[in-house]
Amino acid sequence: MLTANPAVLGWSGSPSAFAAGQTAARAALKQLGKRRAQCAIVFGSSWFDQAQLLEGVRKVFTSAVLAGGSTAGEITPEGPTSHSCVVLALAENGMMASVGAGTNLEDDPRTAGYEAAQQAVHGLASKARSGMLLFGDGLLTGYAEALWGIQEVLGTSSLVTGGLMGDDLRFHQTYQYAQDRSLSRAIVGLLFGGTCKIGVGVEHGFEPISKPRQITRSRANILYELDGQPASSVYEEYFGQEAMEAMRQEGLTRRLIAYPLGIQMEAPGRFLLRAIRAFSEDGGLVCTGEMPEGGWVQLMIGSKGLALEAASSAARQAIQSLRTVHFVLVLDSVVRRLLLGREAAEEIARIRQIVGPSVPLAGCYTYGEQAPLGTPYPYGRSSVQTGACLVIAVGQP
Amino acid sequence: MKISIRTFIILFVSALGLGILAFEFDWLTKLLVVATLLGGIGYLALKFDYQQQRVQELNHLRAGYEQLDQQAKLIVRTDLELHRTQEELDHKLASLFALHELGRQLRVNLQPEEIYGQLNAQLISGFGFSRALVGVCRAPEELRWQSLVGIEEPAAEQVRRHLLDRGALRELLSRPDPKTIRLGAAAPADQPLLELLSARTVVVAGVSPQAGPQGLLVLIREGAGAAEGRGDEELIAVLATQLAIAVENSALYEEAWGARRELEQKVHERTQELASANEQLIRLNKSKSDFVSAVSHELRTPLAAIKGYASLLRSGQFGELAKPQAERLAKIEKHTDLLTQLINNLLDIARIESGRVTMESRPIEAEELMATVVEMIKPQVDAKRIALKTRLDGVRQLVGDPTHLPRVFMNLLSNAVKYTPEGGSIAVHLERAGGQVIASVQDSGCGISPEELPKLFQEFYRSGNPINEQVRGTGLGLALAKRIVEAHHGRITVTSHVGKGTTFTFTLPASPVEQAPA
Repeated sequence: MLTANPAVLGWSGSPSAFAAGQTAARAALKQLGKRRAQCAIVFGSSWFDQAQLLEGVRKVFTSAVLAGGSTAGEITPEGPTSHSCVVLALAENGMMASVGAGTNLEDDPRTAGYEAAQQAVHGLASKARSGMLLFGDGLLTGYAEALWGIQEVLGTSSLVTGGLMGDDLRFHQTYQYAQDRSLSRAIVGLLFGGTCKIGVGVEHGFEPISKPRQITRSRANILYELDGQPASSVYEEYFGQEAMEAMRQEGLTRRLIAYPLGIQMEAPGRFLLRAIRAFSEDGGLVCTGEMPEGGWVQLMIGSKGLALEAASSAARQAIQSLRTVHFVLVLDSVVRRLLLGREAAEEIARIRQIVGPSVPLAGCYTYGEQAPLGTPYPYGRSSVQTGACLVIAVGQP
Repeated sequence: MKISIRTFIILFVSALGLGILAFEFDWLTKLLVVATLLGGIGYLALKFDYQQQRVQELNHLRAGYEQLDQQAKLIVRTDLELHRTQEELDHKLASLFALHELGRQLRVNLQPEEIYGQLNAQLISGFGFSRALVGVCRAPEELRWQSLVGIEEPAAEQVRRHLLDRGALRELLSRPDPKTIRLGAAAPADQPLLELLSARTVVVAGVSPQAGPQGLLVLIREGAGAAEGRGDEELIAVLATQLAIAVENSALYEEAWGARRELEQKVHERTQELASANEQLIRLNKSKSDFVSAVSHELRTPLAAIKGYASLLRSGQFGELAKPQAERLAKIEKHTDLLTQLINNLLDIARIESGRVTMESRPIEAEELMATVVEMIKPQVDAKRIALKTRLDGVRQLVGDPTHLPRVFMNLLSNAVKYTPEGGSIAVHLERAGGQVIASVQDSGCGISPEELPKLFQEFYRSGNPINEQVRGTGLGLALAKRIVEAHHGRITVTSHVGKGTTFTFTLPASPVEQAPA
C-alpha cells in the first residue's frame, strides 16, 4: 500500500515577514491535508523581521515543534533564492522530534551545547534517537566545545550534524529558531527519534594550491601568524598587495571567502575548511572556525566542476544507507554560492537528480557546516567547516 | 659536517692501523693495514661526494618547491581575476536577464501601481542589489511605497519621512540620472539615508515619464566598492526609463480603454433604447390589430344587413324596380361585397398577426388544389383571353392549411389577371426542392418598377400604375398572402421587369411522404 510522504514543503517570497512565514506554512499545510504536523523546519531570509516571520509560521502550525534559522540565501527544489521563507513540515508517522536551545554560546559553548541537548532529550517521547540537527550562530566559533556538551547528554556515538546560520553576508547578526523564539548567539538542536534514520553526506571539492604553512599564532578563530609571518602578509603574497588593499578598504571579504584555508587532517588528502570572514582590527584574519596553533594549513582553490562533483558525491553518501528517503536538507556553504555564481542552481539540480525529484528538498546557504568527517582529529567525530556541501537525508533504513 | 657511527668506526680502525704500522709487524700484516687504510680513505671520499650530491638535490627541490609556490601565487591571482571577471559577467548577464524579464512582464498592460509591484526580490537580486524600495510619487511632496524588498515597513516609513522632510525627494526627481551614494564618499546630506538603510551603497533614481514624476527607485547593495558597482547607474537609468515607458503606456492604454468603455456604454444605451422602441412598436401593432379586429367585427354586421336588404330590394319582393334603381342597388351590392372582402382580409391579417389563427398542417392534394383555384379564376381569365398554364412537376401533395393556402394562390392569380393585358399568359408552377415545394405565379403583365418592389407586401399599398387607377382593390391581398405563407414557415419573394411581367415565388412545406425515398 502506498503511504503519503510525511514531509511536505512550502515557500514564499512575499515581501512582508509575517505574510512570507504564513504563506510558506500554509503551502505546506495544504499538502499535509488532514494529517497533523509534528515538526516544522524553517529557513528565513535575514532581511525579514524574524519575530514576525516566526509568528506567521506559528499562526499556521500552532503546536508543531519548530526549529531553523536565518540564512545567507534559501534553497527550494527550484534552486537558490533569497528574501524568502522555506518551511518543511513533518507529519506524525512514527518519526518524533523535539527541540532544545542553548544560549550564551559565546561565553560558555559547552554549557550551551549541554542545555540544548538536555532540553531536546527531555522533550523527546521516544527512547530511540536517530540524531540531532544543529542550527548555530554563524558568527561564533567554539562548536567543538559545544559538541562536547551535546555528547555529554547524547553520548559520543550519536549523530550530530547541521549548519551555522547566516545573515546574507552582512556578518552582523544571525538568528536561530527554537519554538516561538528567534535567538542570536545560540545553538538550537532538533533531536529526531523513533523509526527514522538520518544519512549524511559532506564534500567540498576544494584542492590545496599553496605550500603548507604552520599556524604559529592564533586566538580562537582569529589567525595572526603563519610560519612566523603576519597571516595577512601571507595572503598578500598570493592575492597581491593591490588587491588586498582594495579588499581591505572596501570590506570585500566576500572575494577572500571563495579561497578558504584548509587545515590538514590526519587522514591524508583531507582538509578542514576555514573561510576568511573579515580583517580584525589588530591585523589578524577572522576565520569561520577555530584555527589551532601548531596546525598546518594550505590555501585552497575551487572550481565549478569540482564543486558540482562534490555536491553530487555528498548527495550519494547521504542516501546510500536509506531504503526510503522522506526528505532532504541541503546546508550548503555560502562560499560555494559565490564560487558557482549563476551555476548555483545547477548544484541543487544535481542533488535533486540523485535523491529523486519527488523527494521534498529544502535548505539554505550557511556560514558553516557541522558534520562527521570520519576522523577524530582535531575536533572529534563531528567538525565544523566552511565551504562544504552538507546533504542530510532523513528516511527509513 | 655530522659524523656517522660508521665513519667514526672507520676513522678509529684507520688510527689503529697507523699505530700497528708504526710497530714491528711482518710485511703481510703491514700490507693488510695499508690496504684497509686506503679502503677507508676511498669510502670517506665517496661518502663526502654523495652527501654533496644530496645537498645539491635538496637545494634543487627547495628551489622547485618555491617555484611551484610562486606559480601557485600566479594561479591564485589569475583565478582571482577570472573570478572577478566572471562575477562581473554574471552580474551583467543577470541584469540583462532581469531587464528582459521585467520587459516581458510589462508587456501586459498594468496599472502604474502594478508596474512597480513587478520589481520583486528576484529581479532586484538580478540587478545585483540586495534590497530595494519602490515608490509611487506623482508630486515631489507625495511618496507612497509600493514594493519593499528586504526592508520592513517601519524602516521604509523612516526613509519616506527623511526624503519628504529634507526636500531630498524633489532634488532626486529633478535629476536626469540616477544618484549613487556610497559609504565613505557620501555628501553629509546623504549620510542619513545610508544610516537609515544600514547600507554601504544606495542608488536612487526617479521614474519620470514625459507627463512628470511618477515613481522612485531606491536600490541597496551591501558592498561599497566602486568596482563592484561599475555600470550601476547606466543599468538603473535603463530600468527607470523602462518603467517610465510602461507607466506612459499604461496611461495611454487606460485612455483607450476608457474611450472604448464609453463607446460600449453608448452602444448599450442605444440598443436598450431601440429594444424599448421595438417593444413599444410591437405593443402598438398589437393594439392596432386588436382595434382593426374589433372595428371589422362591428362593421361586418351592418354590412351584412345592408347587403341583405339590397338583395331583397333587387329581388323585386317590394315591387318592380326602375332600371336606374336596379343599377344603383347593384352598385350597393358590389361595393358592399368589396367592403366585406376588405374587412375579411383585414380580420385575417389581424388574426394571423396576433397569433389567434393557427395554421393547420394537413396534406393537400396539389392537383385538386390547382383545379379549384383555376376554376375560381377561370371566368376572369377567360374574360381577358389569358392563357393560364399549370405545371406540377411531379408534386402530388402539399402540407398546409386547406382554408388559407388556396387564398394565397387566389390572391396572386387575381393580381396576375388584373395586371396582364388581354391575350397575355399566366403560368402557375410547382416544383420540389429538398423538404420544400417552390410555387411560382408568373404573368406577362405590365411589371412593377424596382422602387415599388420593397413596398409591395405592405398593407394598403397599391402600385401607381394606370391599371390600379381604373381597377379597385383593397391593397391587402399581397399583405395577406405574405402573412399566410410566413405562417406556414415559408417565404415569399417577387421579381419583376417593367413591360415584361412579374413572378411571385413562395415556399411551402412538402409532404414528408413524398420526401421519402421511393
